[in-house]
Amino acid sequence: MVFKRQRIRSTSYLALWFGKLVYFLLRVAGKQGTSLPGWLLWRIRPSLLQELLQQLDQCVLVTGTNGKTTTTALIHAMLDNTKDPWITNRGGANLIQGVLAALLQHVSMSGRLLAKNAVLEVDEATFPHVMTRVSPTLLVVTNILRDQLDRYGEVDQALTLIRQGILLHPESQVIVNADDPLSASLGIDRELTYFYGMSVTPHHDPNRVEVRDGAFCLRCGHELQYEGFIYGQMGYYACPSCGFARPTPHFTGVHDDVKKNLQVTETMHQAESEVYSFYAPMFGIYNWYNLLSAIAVVRVLGSSPRILQDRLKNYEAPTGRMQTFPGSPQKILTLIKNPTGANSVLRAIESDAEQKSICFTINDDDADGRDVSWLWDIDLESFVTHTICQTYYCAGTRALDMALRLTYAGIRRDQVEVIDSLEKIDLVTKKAQGKVYILSTYTALYKLAAQFHEAQRSKAVQRS
Amino acid sequence: MTTCIKIAHLFPELLNLYADQGNLAVLAKRAMLRDIEVSITQVKLGSQLDLASIDLIMLGGGSDREQAVVGKELLRYKADLQEAVDAGLPILAVCGGYQLLGSYYELANKERIQGLSLLDFATIAGPNRLIGNIAIEWLQADGSPTGKTIVGFENHGGRTHHNYPALGRVLQGHGNNGEDHFEGIQYKGIVATYIHGPLLPKNPHIADHLLQKALRYRGFFEPLSVLDDELAFMAHNAMLNRLGVSMMMKEK
Ligand SMILES: [Zn+2]
Repeated sequence: MVFKRQRIRSTSYLALWFGKLVYFLLRVAGKQGTSLPGWLLWRIRPSLLQELLQQLDQCVLVTGTNGKTTTTALIHAMLDNTKDPWITNRGGANLIQGVLAALLQHVSMSGRLLAKNAVLEVDEATFPHVMTRVSPTLLVVTNILRDQLDRYGEVDQALTLIRQGILLHPESQVIVNADDPLSASLGIDRELTYFYGMSVTPHHDPNRVEVRDGAFCLRCGHELQYEGFIYGQMGYYACPSCGFARPTPHFTGVHDDVKKNLQVTETMHQAESEVYSFYAPMFGIYNWYNLLSAIAVVRVLGSSPRILQDRLKNYEAPTGRMQTFPGSPQKILTLIKNPTGANSVLRAIESDAEQKSICFTINDDDADGRDVSWLWDIDLESFVTHTICQTYYCAGTRALDMALRLTYAGIRRDQVEVIDSLEKIDLVTKKAQGKVYILSTYTALYKLAAQFHEAQRSKAVQRS
Repeated sequence: MTTCIKIAHLFPELLNLYADQGNLAVLAKRAMLRDIEVSITQVKLGSQLDLASIDLIMLGGGSDREQAVVGKELLRYKADLQEAVDAGLPILAVCGGYQLLGSYYELANKERIQGLSLLDFATIAGPNRLIGNIAIEWLQADGSPTGKTIVGFENHGGRTHHNYPALGRVLQGHGNNGEDHFEGIQYKGIVATYIHGPLLPKNPHIADHLLQKALRYRGFFEPLSVLDDELAFMAHNAMLNRLGVSMMMKEK
């Protein structure tokens, strides 16, 4: 029996109180959701992370390259309840300071964690720090897709970091994406591992030229053969040389576009399979993956589908994950940060037959990636042949680069409108018919979300 | 008879680090707008490279590992490539592709990635990566200024020193090695550079320069007609502005 610490060490009190004071002062100053107290604690008392994590009864970690924030929010929505609260780090605060800041909100002055469960989103680079300090009850890997950072070879790096973390804890349950050969390689031949995957008619569109980084077998280096692609490198794959292949999922999802639900066939316990379905209003295949993995997590933890269906009704999309702002036109704000992510967002928009415009908001700060080459890796060419948009707006520090990219994808110059400041997006897009999808890089995203909220609020005030 | 040129994109499955298909899209579109037919052949690992039918080669950048694989693969063609280069075959080589034209790229651990030795120079890894937006003044092959600028993004650990005519003089950024204020190489048909972003969309004059070279190589000598590049030069000038470079590109 492992000794379970009930509170932090006495030598950590000062740091904890200081952290709580900073948190309190920030709250008084009206600032929320900042991870500054977490950052300070990590600087002055790094052992606190371990002292807090080890008090948890259940610790669920979410990692991978894309979809962590949505998946974490979905899991939290399905698990959290007043009787049994779950701690989480919201809004993509997935570095150590974000994890610490989330835990800090639930610690008593005597250093006891008041909530005993946590679902935490953890960045790939932060993952090893967390894994050396806690034995997670369960760990889910969303996917390992190409990021703009891969330009420095970081996909291999992310995979290595996650693999090393998993090897530290053979006792933890692991859930991985069967359709992604890179993720699946983490779970093959491992005990206590569950796979999830989609059952869809995979596209075989020769016009799609997406980046497929996982297209080579990790075991032997041979090119993988696909019966069909779903998106990115995800699909039904097998290695003709060594036999590495898509594992059979324990959770298989089928999405019904019309009924807007996700049907899950569960074969966790070999003998019989169980089928249940969830209302899934979100759209885009990548969101169904997020939901499917979240369902797998809560099912492995033992919740009944009935309760989950109820709790999911209260789910609200996190900032910039297909976040909807009603109005005329309706605005839908979504983060894009790499070609694969942008392609899946575009696929989702394609499936919307209503009248629409798109506003690309491309910044090039450090957090966005300073190199915007990736805009040319987005498969806009196939997007424009599959769907019709009224206007393509371009904003952000790299608005002109994006505009140029669009014209090379075959969009007429007079359909492209450059907006020279983020503040003007609201005004300029007023004339758009139908919806406006706003695809934004990281640093513009929160500004835009705040701006749209403010616009809604002032409109509500005017009306009353 | 229709004017037609053939472009070979070498190993797109390995050298795809900096969105080089952007460069190809620009070349193809600008040719198409002038009724020049373009065919782009993707030369993949293990497939045959038929140099005799090629009018322009695009050689992009990859990771060190991929660059080594490509270097090895291309050695088979070294003699043919050398002959073609001497005859003036246009080549656009970016980042890793640039380094491959030389004799080697020496990594920090002293390991050497063999190049093709088509040109006589070498690249050695520096202590840090040279990263950021860059603007250079485009030079003529004799070193005199053209009055035109080139903008883009650079991100390379290697320092390249050579005695060939440079593509340009660095106005803002690092260039070949961060020391001598030169960027790239221009030699016969070769344009080699660390500038990506990709290179050609915001530098349509360089795209046309390459197209013209390819056409001449094929035996067509008519001048290229002028295109509407307003948007491209707006983006170009916005970058110059941001870098505090006062020299501005005007539309042709
Ligand atoms: Zn294999």
